[in-house]
Amino acid sequence: MPGKVVEKKTPKQTLLTAITGNVGAILVGLKYFVNPNRFTLKYPYEFIELDETYRGFIILELKKCIGCMSCARICPAAAMKMVKIQVEGKKRPMPVPVINYNRCIFCGYCVDVCPTEALAHLPVHDVVYTNMEDMVLDVDGFQKLVDTPAKDEGVPVKYVFDPERGLVKVPATRG
Amino acid sequence: MSASPALKDEIKLPGMDLKKIGKDLYEVFIGPQHPGSGHMRIIIRVDGDVIVEADPDLGYVHRTMEKLAEGREFIKVIPLMERMAILDACNITLPYVEAVEKLMDIEPPPRAKYLRVLLCEINRIASHLYGMGIFGVFLGHSTMYMWPFGDREVFVELAEKLTGARLTHTYAVPGGVRRDIPQGFREMAEKAARYMEKKLEDYKRIFLDNPAIQKRLVDVGVISKNLAAKLGIVGPNLRASGIRYDVRIIEPYEAYDEIDFEVPIYEEGDAYARAWIRVMEIKQSLNIIRQVLEKMPQGDPLHEKFWAKAPKLYKTVYETTGRAKLIPLYANLKVPAGRAIARAEAGRGEVIYVVESENKTKPYRVRVVSPSFRNAIVFKYIVPGHRIADLPAIYGSIDYFPPEADR
Repeated sequence: MPGKVVEKKTPKQTLLTAITGNVGAILVGLKYFVNPNRFTLKYPYEFIELDETYRGFIILELKKCIGCMSCARICPAAAMKMVKIQVEGKKRPMPVPVINYNRCIFCGYCVDVCPTEALAHLPVHDVVYTNMEDMVLDVDGFQKLVDTPAKDEGVPVKYVFDPERGLVKVPATRG
Repeated sequence: MSASPALKDEIKLPGMDLKKIGKDLYEVFIGPQHPGSGHMRIIIRVDGDVIVEADPDLGYVHRTMEKLAEGREFIKVIPLMERMAILDACNITLPYVEAVEKLMDIEPPPRAKYLRVLLCEINRIASHLYGMGIFGVFLGHSTMYMWPFGDREVFVELAEKLTGARLTHTYAVPGGVRRDIPQGFREMAEKAARYMEKKLEDYKRIFLDNPAIQKRLVDVGVISKNLAAKLGIVGPNLRASGIRYDVRIIEPYEAYDEIDFEVPIYEEGDAYARAWIRVMEIKQSLNIIRQVLEKMPQGDPLHEKFWAKAPKLYKTVYETTGRAKLIPLYANLKVPAGRAIARAEAGRGEVIYVVESENKTKPYRVRVVSPSFRNAIVFKYIVPGHRIADLPAIYGSIDYFPPEADR
């Protein structure tokens, strides 16, 4: 059954609602003054331990790559390019993907289109590069695991849903 | 630059007479670098404190999206069009996907339809909360700015659990969706919904029932039923003026015809009604999310054309991680020639796409009519007659989003 239209009316303003409205607003304010509902992330002293399903930075597993070029063809930002390199166990040079994080929009098309699951997302989104050239990865760089720069001094936390407070920050264990 | 004489007669406010202005006019430029107005400018002319003319000036964030779409493959247009309204990403790209599906003559499987509705409603809530937060800070009510923005995080997090990305989800693709709901998503959504329902009561008490807010919003920026129809505005703004128009009931798309929900209508048409309608729509969206999770049928995530012949690995990945992998055909999707139109109800109103294909891998033309663009004209007709101090209240109540209007 489809939706239906329901007519509503905004409340009328009277002297009574003016009094109750003021009192009500102050009471709600007081409620949150006493018991605030904060979940600020104190980055970099804390950082979010992301889910495995998070669409973060991308890593290549060269062994699985068959050089089909689907990832480079589907990339909407032209961040992924193919380069020909000599791979162990192959007679001829094979095209393998490299990525340019200047352009990547983390849509995850390449990971989803890869027929052999050679590409995968890492649950990391805050890698820092000191210059623009470093963001263009070569085949070796594309195979390296990257991690959040906050891991050295920060503690991992997770946000869990809560019917009373919306999101609650809880400590998380890595790995 | 002059206000239309036909509509000028309709501007009537209690205790405020419009008089003919000669040379004693001041021109005030509100925006585009004004902290409140965002990437648009409203040029107003004032007589003392009373605005006599308003001229919305758009186009500051125009990115030629329609033209860019002509140079991209069909699937690559989706991440591009998402940039119109990243907080409303599924709603704003859904009609494009539907139009491409119409051209290809395929229909997504029932489970994909429900998943799309699920993300659309999460996006709608997030979009309304964003609008309410901006509305609050325009009125100087910083609590109402902080709360919706904080609570929006709950729904952004929920969307992240579903799609893997906080904002630009790129969730719906021609033929279906890219992910299934993860483990424990039902409980998470239920917790988020229960929290939001409670929080809406708090919003009501601190904002909507607050006499200070009522004094600033009631009878301010009234869009009469007649004017709303004449200007062709859409979305919650139109429904706050008493017109029964919502694409979800006029022309149900995806799974909306199987879901029982209400579309709230307010007759008043003032800024106060526009504030109320967003709260009521959030309530209904929570209701829809619950129903979707309850009624969702089992089945494939993608149309059999893309799923039946997929390798075994694809199905293993789908069963273990919930990710529906795309077959390499998607990179060069050839869409049969023709022209298709599709529309959907996005957070801010009706969004329409016209997609024309020439049997090639790239579209010949993609035309977008976005809701904010249709709502922008309203400034010209409802702002005159109000004082300058009322302008933020009107601007905030329209929930105008410049990147969406400028495309």
